[in-house]
Amino acid sequence: MKKIMFLLIFLLVGLVILFLVLKSEPFPTYSPERNYTADKGTEQTILSQFLLAKDSTVIELPKGQFSISQALPLDGVSHVTIKGHGMGATVLNFAGQTKGAEGLRITNGNNITIQDLTVENAKGDNIKVMDTNGITFRNVESSWTGKVSEDNGAYAFYPVLCRNVVIDQCKAIGSSDAGIYVGQSVDVVISNNEALYNVAGIESENSINVKIFGNKVYENTGGILVFDLPGLTQYGKNIEVYNNTVYENNTSNFAKAGAIVGQVPSGTGSLVLGTEDVYFHDNSFTDNKTTSIAIASYELIYELGKRNSRPEEAPGVVGSVRTINDEYNSDANYNPYPRQIKIGENRFENSYLFPTINNDFGKILLFKKPFQTVDVLWDGLEDEDADYTLCFETGGESFSFYGLDVINDFKNATSDVSEYNCN
Amino acid sequence: MFRSIIVISTLALALLLGCQNQGNVAVANDYVSVSGLLTSQDTLVKYEDLGLKKLSDYGFFKQPISQLIPASEQVVPYTLNSPLFTDYATKSRFISFPEGSTAAYVSDEKVLDFPEGTVIIKNFYYTNADLKNNDTDVILETRLLLKKDGEWIALPYVWNEEQTEAYLYILGKDIDLVLEANDERVEPLNFSYSVPNINMCKNCHVKNQKLVPLGPTPRQLNRENQFISVSQNQLAFLSDNHFLVDLPPLSVVAKLPDYKDESEPLDGRARAYLDVNCAHCHQDGGSAKTSGLHLAYEESDLYRLGVNKPPVAAGKGSGYLAFDIVSGKPEASILLYRMKHLEPDIVMPEIGKNLVDTEGVALIESWIKSL
Repeated sequence: MKKIMFLLIFLLVGLVILFLVLKSEPFPTYSPERNYTADKGTEQTILSQFLLAKDSTVIELPKGQFSISQALPLDGVSHVTIKGHGMGATVLNFAGQTKGAEGLRITNGNNITIQDLTVENAKGDNIKVMDTNGITFRNVESSWTGKVSEDNGAYAFYPVLCRNVVIDQCKAIGSSDAGIYVGQSVDVVISNNEALYNVAGIESENSINVKIFGNKVYENTGGILVFDLPGLTQYGKNIEVYNNTVYENNTSNFAKAGAIVGQVPSGTGSLVLGTEDVYFHDNSFTDNKTTSIAIASYELIYELGKRNSRPEEAPGVVGSVRTINDEYNSDANYNPYPRQIKIGENRFENSYLFPTINNDFGKILLFKKPFQTVDVLWDGLEDEDADYTLCFETGGESFSFYGLDVINDFKNATSDVSEYNCN
Repeated sequence: MFRSIIVISTLALALLLGCQNQGNVAVANDYVSVSGLLTSQDTLVKYEDLGLKKLSDYGFFKQPISQLIPASEQVVPYTLNSPLFTDYATKSRFISFPEGSTAAYVSDEKVLDFPEGTVIIKNFYYTNADLKNNDTDVILETRLLLKKDGEWIALPYVWNEEQTEAYLYILGKDIDLVLEANDERVEPLNFSYSVPNINMCKNCHVKNQKLVPLGPTPRQLNRENQFISVSQNQLAFLSDNHFLVDLPPLSVVAKLPDYKDESEPLDGRARAYLDVNCAHCHQDGGSAKTSGLHLAYEESDLYRLGVNKPPVAAGKGSGYLAFDIVSGKPEASILLYRMKHLEPDIVMPEIGKNLVDTEGVALIESWIKSL
């Protein structure tokens, strides 16, 4: 009898564990109160403000929630401000757009400011800014409403090939790729924003001199990503990530198949992919199921991507936003390994017992480190010629570390941080 | 007596029903093919600092301007070997040279170096044969490229319903059309033609952040045309009439294939098609420079042309396909997928296209099969 009771309890515990492991987070829904007006006259007035803008024009947008049927373009002007009456008070909704894939499209400008408005539901990207020196977003909400889906647009804030970028006190919600995304840019500040319900909350890609601080990043698949991808115009370095609050980034990955962010395991606080000179300090990471900070090489993501594409569908079915590039070896200027990744004092907390297991990282952790949380996870792949790959400014007592040694089938996997001290 | 009663009551009815009545009358007359051209109800903002308000103000054409007959010998007509597809519209092109000035030859693939004050004029129209229930040609818009202070500016003019004038109209306009069935189309085709807004011109015409003309390159102009008195090669005509200098002997000037000419080799036709329809953005310095896809006629690197090249930031445009072009497999090629679609986040070219170019799709399909 006692034996049967024991067996029953054992089974029950097993079931509970199984449930906890298999349970994935539901897809979140963003439903703000909206009452759109679709009025051709208002749309034409707004469009003509964009088209007729000259240097130093202030484009003042009226109060109200407007459905707009086409991309609003601003090109080749300096010192222009686009200004509404506040997030939610001035709303430009591009849900039914028939022309252009972006909401706002800004090109070849100097010192452009966008402030106090909401841009939502564009078919492609909500706000794209290209070839611009000086772009400031302040108090702007950029979102996709409803339940998150791969049909949502890719980027909420999308400055690319820009210099002097400031994104401050903004909100990014529901992007099927990255909420706040800065690509191939130089001198960037991403501060005091909120990013939620995106696949990637904040992403710095191939960018130089980037400060990411004071942001609240939660309920995304991955919180803050620092990526370097091959085949682009420049490679990233000198990135500082500090004073951010990164929590509950456990949303299941809803990226389009084949997009590189589709490889981000749900439950990731931060992920560094490739890149040189990244410094994390004074952040608080809480309850990101899989790991707080992951450090990986492009080589690993590339191999995982290859394995995850189903052979019977290849080569037809990969598709995507930023796809996994199998020609990375041919780019002589590209270094797939992370280098000089410095981790200072951070606050790590994880009340979840199990990582998410719908991804390779989670599965590895579940089997290698059951019932333990890993704060800093590293794939173990390194560039032999680099000064160092990663280092810690503090001792191992305040966090847990796991170096996977992927290349040797985890033979020399280690949790010992002593040999990775910054001094 | 009866007649005046009928006239008066019809007028009264028209007044009573107002705008709504206009629609009814149109249906009654079976005149449903064109709506959206400018009417007296369109409020036209004054854009004096951009360009002249009316097309007739420039004096390019004799009255009635809808005949598009040049007002002087300085306004020279031209055609291209391979023109851009624009929803089956026919185009009538002219270059207005300022008195006493000449353009210079640069190279076969580069646009002529035009003098200050040149205006390139492109009229978009549908012939009465194209349009259902219409007995005259209808000109929709006229686009101008003007060279002013060394820089080019683009100005769109939209024609009125009466076809007596075109007005500078910067907001873009949707014009509803019904195209008649023909050999390729079994059914009449309803669609909305889009006149671009003034900023959209830049999407295609910007190279290295500067606005430039695209069509009039020597290899595109190298063909016969009918001028007022003679039929002659266009480059020879320009040169003989002192509009063009530095032209090398015609025998050494390249000629872009006409992609509609089935006697030309498939590869040349397909590459010419991609050049005129895609390469304005898909080249170094063009709007699609971040895509890594290069479709200019002279591109020789297969990877840069898209063969086995993964897309960079195509989003939904990839159609879940892995490569821009898969040799021998048009159905697995993103390039063809995007040509066949019209949704704003998938369609290529990304603006100015509201109909699929069925013949163009067939051409590129056979070309990919042949790779």
